[in-house]
Amino acid sequence: MKFKTLFGAALLVFAGSAFAQQPSNRLFVTNEEDNTVSVVNAGTLEVEATIEIGNRPRGIGLSPDGSRVYVALGDDDAIGVIDTHSLEVLDHIPAGSDPEAFAVHPNGNLYLSNEDDNLASVLNPETREILAEIPVGIEPEGVGATPDGSRVMVTSESTNMVHVITVPEHEVIAHVLVGARPREITFTQDGHLGYVTSEVAGEIAKFDVATNTIIMTAKLDEIDGVKPKGVLLSPDESTLYVSTGRGNSIAVVDAETLALKNTIPVGTRVWGIALSKDGTRLYACNGVSGTLSVVDTVAGKEIATVEVGSMPWGVVLDD
Amino acid sequence: MKTVKSLLLRVLRWLVPALCFFSVAQAAEPRHVNMLLVAPSSGEYASHINGVVLGETEANIQGRFMGIDYVLQQVSPDEVSAGGDKPAVVFVAGTAEQLLRIYELYAPQGVAVVNIALADNALREQCHPGLYHTPPSQKMLADAVAQWQQQNPGASVQAMTWHPAFVKFAGRDLNKRYMEQFSVEMDSAAWAGWAASRMVAEAVSRTGSEAPEEIARYLSEDLAFDGQKGVPQTFRSNGQMRQPLLLADASGELLGEAPVRGVADSDDLDSMGILDCD
Repeated sequence: MKFKTLFGAALLVFAGSAFAQQPSNRLFVTNEEDNTVSVVNAGTLEVEATIEIGNRPRGIGLSPDGSRVYVALGDDDAIGVIDTHSLEVLDHIPAGSDPEAFAVHPNGNLYLSNEDDNLASVLNPETREILAEIPVGIEPEGVGATPDGSRVMVTSESTNMVHVITVPEHEVIAHVLVGARPREITFTQDGHLGYVTSEVAGEIAKFDVATNTIIMTAKLDEIDGVKPKGVLLSPDESTLYVSTGRGNSIAVVDAETLALKNTIPVGTRVWGIALSKDGTRLYACNGVSGTLSVVDTVAGKEIATVEVGSMPWGVVLDD
Repeated sequence: MKTVKSLLLRVLRWLVPALCFFSVAQAAEPRHVNMLLVAPSSGEYASHINGVVLGETEANIQGRFMGIDYVLQQVSPDEVSAGGDKPAVVFVAGTAEQLLRIYELYAPQGVAVVNIALADNALREQCHPGLYHTPPSQKMLADAVAQWQQQNPGASVQAMTWHPAFVKFAGRDLNKRYMEQFSVEMDSAAWAGWAASRMVAEAVSRTGSEAPEEIARYLSEDLAFDGQKGVPQTFRSNGQMRQPLLLADASGELLGEAPVRGVADSDDLDSMGILDCD
């Protein structure tokens, strides 16, 4: 009897802790004009909730353990924090002036771009402390961390540079000129290569992390009105997915040659994107359409759209 | 033996980076880019001048990361003479007569001269090599209005280079920066001045050269300038900077952009203005 109860209790505790660590399998979308976050079930594609989060939500990211979603609130000068399971708004953390976007470092700290201050800030979301403020160029936007956490890179859209920051020293060791209006950067798993989008130049560039140099660029001008913004690597790192703004499509690019392999039409003014862990589903925010596109990357086409809020900007998937 | 070796290593670990820093510090003398702004001090061109100054400030934010120092010198049209150091580029806010006199002085030296104030069609039609125009021509403005009226018959609109309420394409950020620096709204005149100094920074940063001829060549052949109006802006062979324009109603309320969607593609900048030379 006693043994059974103990065993049962152990099972419950185990199940309980396993449940707490299960991904919520939810998509979280910032709606820049609505001041909300849409919560979409990635399985059923139903909108489960619309959360009032704060003013001018744009950048969005998951904590390393998947328990929290962070949202940059530009007009509140804060980071909003949402529990991915209970959907409770847990905190608004002061985050310097006009935070637009951020990268979540493997150690849990947020590296954020303060758009109107020409700064990148480092925020510990647990202690709510700003650990460092790093001068960068004008209109900092995209922030990316290498998977090993040794480097964080920040794009400054108006100064047309990628600024390379060492972690934990927080020294800027390089300022690299790229195409006009650089937006975002993503890295290979081994951290050797980065890929940077430049919106006004209509380009994607391959970045060598060891030497802090651009080693290849390609214009995506086969796509009418192309404005490269979001960039993600497929799990096997053979393919880049690039959102194209008014190009109204996802550009499928060969990561080795930077040649355009395919163009997948989605909604209007496509902006932030997210990729499932297995790489078979890509999700894209259509800013002007007010929808989230669901793309089957294997079939190479959009298979569904979900109505979200007004001017969807960024999306993350907790899977 | 072990102690000496570890002591030596400790010293080297301090000394080597210190030496590297020192040698870098010694090499840190910036390259100067001297930009000459010719404008009367009368106040008539205050916006244009503010714009050039904002552009210079922003150029130096980038320049600081590259060891480049942009220096702006302002003189009145009467003070300009044949002697003196050759600038990297000249910006002019003045009459057509003043502009052309300054052009005749500097163009033969290979220095690009940039008109930041005048809309005269004649200046574009005359196709002066080495003369650049950042403001739109009268014809560009008229074509923008005509496009709008094709979509909206009977509408009373005015076309302009910039508008303080424009938020698209990071327009909000540019307007914010201008307001913070000057405490007044950014207008078309200021944008034309800003574009001039910012485009010079594009030329210098991307070519690695502050030579006037190289700057002029880059402007003519390679520049694709982010004027924060959404479409990269290039120069026509007649010296005109291609650009989208903005449209406002009679009361000055912002209505939209040209090229007007439905009439022309939004990146078809040659749908407005003078394309040919005399």
